[in-house]
Amino acid sequence: MYRTAAKRFLGVGFTTSRLLRLPKPRPNPTIITPYSHASALCTSSIGHTESPIGNQSVNPNQSDPTAASSSTAREEGPRRDESSRKKPRAEFEEEQARVLAASLRHVPRLGWTEEAMIAGSREVGVSPSIVGSFSRKEAALVEYFMDECLQLLIDRVDSGLDLQNLIPSERVSKLVRIRLEMQIPYMSKWPQALSIQAHPVNVPTSFKQRAMLVDEIWHTVGDGASDLDWYVKRTVLGGVYSTTEIYMLTDDSPEYRDTWAFLDDRVKDAFDLKKSIQEAKYFAQDIGAGVGKSFQGLMNGVMQTMSRRGGSSAF
Amino acid sequence: MALRSISRRFGSRILNYRSSVASLHSHATSFGFQQVKEEEKSKLVGNVFTNVASSYDIMNDVMSGGLHRLWKERLVGKLSPFAGMKHLDVAGGTGDVAFRIFDAVNSVKRRALRKVDEDSLEETQIYVCDINPNMLNVGKQRAAERGLRDNKSLVWVEGDAEALSFDDNSMDGYTIAFGIRNVTHIEKALAEAYRVLKRGGRFLCLELSHVDIPVFKDVYDLYSFKVIPNLGELIAGDRESYQYLVESVRRFPPQEKFATMIADAGFEKVEYENLVGGVVAIHSAIKL
Repeated sequence: MYRTAAKRFLGVGFTTSRLLRLPKPRPNPTIITPYSHASALCTSSIGHTESPIGNQSVNPNQSDPTAASSSTAREEGPRRDESSRKKPRAEFEEEQARVLAASLRHVPRLGWTEEAMIAGSREVGVSPSIVGSFSRKEAALVEYFMDECLQLLIDRVDSGLDLQNLIPSERVSKLVRIRLEMQIPYMSKWPQALSIQAHPVNVPTSFKQRAMLVDEIWHTVGDGASDLDWYVKRTVLGGVYSTTEIYMLTDDSPEYRDTWAFLDDRVKDAFDLKKSIQEAKYFAQDIGAGVGKSFQGLMNGVMQTMSRRGGSSAF
Repeated sequence: MALRSISRRFGSRILNYRSSVASLHSHATSFGFQQVKEEEKSKLVGNVFTNVASSYDIMNDVMSGGLHRLWKERLVGKLSPFAGMKHLDVAGGTGDVAFRIFDAVNSVKRRALRKVDEDSLEETQIYVCDINPNMLNVGKQRAAERGLRDNKSLVWVEGDAEALSFDDNSMDGYTIAFGIRNVTHIEKALAEAYRVLKRGGRFLCLELSHVDIPVFKDVYDLYSFKVIPNLGELIAGDRESYQYLVESVRRFPPQEKFATMIADAGFEKVEYENLVGGVVAIHSAIKL
């Protein structure tokens, strides 16, 4: 769900960090008990430290709400009188999440592949056959990772990231940097993840995930606009994010210094873009006016525009 | 007042239970469109397959126009076999599905792409279980023709789908292709499937099913009842067996009902996919 839209329709109170944990609709006959997910929504996010996703500390944050939901759902089980089965029906979703989380630890070695997921499932103690039931297998792993990173970003922001003293362009820079740093442990295999996301089958989901990420960043920066500007801003930031991500793939500098410098430049350009668009408009007006006048008149118009733009960067 | 409403609810539940048992019971006592005694059904089915074993594969090709190969490919594709897997193919007599799984695991492409994982040095084991020794013999013969006679990965076992001789939680995958229609008690076969599968193991069932599309349904019925028994007589010399086959398809529960039965056996994420408009359906589920 988009943060700005949610805020407008549902009011401020609903924008908890668990917004993204709403269950996705699944086309199977087994029904997911709504109770277990409601309890996950109510659980407040524990103050989460800035550990990268490969670390063990990620799992407690995930497994806490899931453990809570599975235990509450299990309590419901014996109370059900029509079937003798005691297991909650939402178990497949949890099991899948558990397997994917364990698989991430094998990705740096095995890549975003079925092998990584088979290794992950063995770790969790489940038969690797379960991997066969994931839709679009490798894409499921990549999408899980993207969702987890977004959730981590939201948690970081909610648990008090200091953005007050920064101007908007610096805030955007910082947030994009935090998000891209989560990919560092997987950098050697990230090109593979990008190619998986680019498959036509997977494009709708990956596009949606990136759109949500970009929306989240703008929302955090404090942008509440929801007119045509909304699309322009998100497209521009999407472009900045993607180009930086790709730059990072071939960056050898210590601690990715060059990437952050590249990012800062692009963000500055993006913010300057707004000014530049305005100036380009004036210039076009002058050109249009100049066609009817003499060449001298045209040159006067051009000189005026250039002096107005002052010493800013050439276009 | 309260007592009456409770008893009415209870009564309706008994009625539902009785009617569902009755419909299952009807499968156990039906041999195609005939009514038979439960104890006899197994023997009658056994006779059918003893008679058709030698021409089983040819008849499959003729009846389905070669499509059955595509259906089995789809089944194995859904399964996504992996190296080191313990798989059980029930009612797999002539080995069609088993060979495909074997090829999928051992194909050159797979071996090239496979990363060496120290943990999975176990051998792949594919068990082919069938109640009819004639069908198994045809399967063993085909294995020998492919040069797999002494291959330790393929194990041919004679057994009953309703009472498997395998240990609990021992199989990664369980498939049954065009076989579940022939067992006397479907729910027992499903319970056995649940028992032998490991946690996370998958159950896949490929079976002829019900067609609902208006005009196509009539074409299919015509083909089933007029053409197939004649083909059976012509090619296999056995009209009755193929008459049984088409009738048993009609008697088998429809897709949704079968999915419910699978869920009742304890499986999660029960799904089904119709192929050729419902002529064939692949049901899949996971044990968790």
